[in-house]
Amino acid sequence: MNMQLAAIASLAIALGACGPKPDIRVENAWARRAPMIEQKQQSGVNLETGNGAVYATILNNGHAADLLVAAASDAAGAVELHETYEMSGMMMMRSVPNFAVPPGGKLEMKPGGYHLMLLRLKRELKPGEKVGVSLTFEKAGTVSIDAVVK
Amino acid sequence: MLPAGRFIGNEFAMDNAGRASREVMFLRLYPAAVLGLILFCAAKLDGADFRSGALIPPLKAPDFALKASSGSEFRLSRHRGKVVILSFGYTSCPDVCPMTLANLASLRSKLGADADRVQVAYVTVDPERDTAERLRAYTSFFDTTFLGLTGSADQLAAVRKAYGVSSQKEIVDKGTGFYLIHHSASIYFIDSAGTLRVIAPFGTPLDDLIHDARILLER
Repeated sequence: MNMQLAAIASLAIALGACGPKPDIRVENAWARRAPMIEQKQQSGVNLETGNGAVYATILNNGHAADLLVAAASDAAGAVELHETYEMSGMMMMRSVPNFAVPPGGKLEMKPGGYHLMLLRLKRELKPGEKVGVSLTFEKAGTVSIDAVVK
Repeated sequence: MLPAGRFIGNEFAMDNAGRASREVMFLRLYPAAVLGLILFCAAKLDGADFRSGALIPPLKAPDFALKASSGSEFRLSRHRGKVVILSFGYTSCPDVCPMTLANLASLRSKLGADADRVQVAYVTVDPERDTAERLRAYTSFFDTTFLGLTGSADQLAAVRKAYGVSSQKEIVDKGTGFYLIHHSASIYFIDSAGTLRVIAPFGTPLDDLIHDARILLER
């Protein structure tokens, strides 16, 4: 009996060490088509650039919460996690430190809500093309996705 | 209406109490019901069948003149005969504005030949960065018939005020000076007579926008 209890206890400890894990999957990744347009820089030089947005649904089929903490893309100078929200009739946008993906739940990015903002585009985002984005999660590590430009 | 009222009145005098109270109730409710029906019909004629946000009563669209991305002046009152769809935004806006412009481009493509009678005008809230040339490059990326509009800070502020649009600049990167401009993102539908009929809030489904544009084109 004691042996059995000990076995169960040690198994529980072993499982505990592994801990519950998030299981991250990304679906329906897409980017809004975006042009490159001339923009005056602070240096006074005009540069062709633009901004864009990537949307996706992040599913977590695991048993632990995870956080999307960073994103990067070779199509943009920087990628920020953004949230659009409404305040006194205005559409406001702010950068947020992370997107939480609850266990057994999902985080849905969509126009007018959460999105990945592509800053300083390096190329035009043309419909039909793909934009590679790497997402860094606190626990699940890096997940690479291809967002279809629409 | 009057004869029916008198008839009910006579019956009320002759009848028992229970029936009378029902008749009194009916007498009281009847004018309200008729009034309601009249208002309902009037509202219907006035565009209560709009789905995106009918402006009741409709309002003469405040006139303005701004510099268009086509190079010429855009004066709203010169576009009578067309349905003018007005929205506000800026070209560095990644989420809200492209969604609005992409929706309006889809709207025009769904209208077929009627699209020729729709003029989309996009008023910048960011004259500092949005030159006419930049607006042309940006709006034509969505639809080559779209006109981007700009002007002096004062001119643009007057147009925003007339349409109840608020905007607020926020510097998000002190190093580069990069800023965002928060702004209201409703879409304004002005009919061919120059009357503001519909104000569609941000997020109105595309189908509803198309539905309302069709109503305005039928008139």
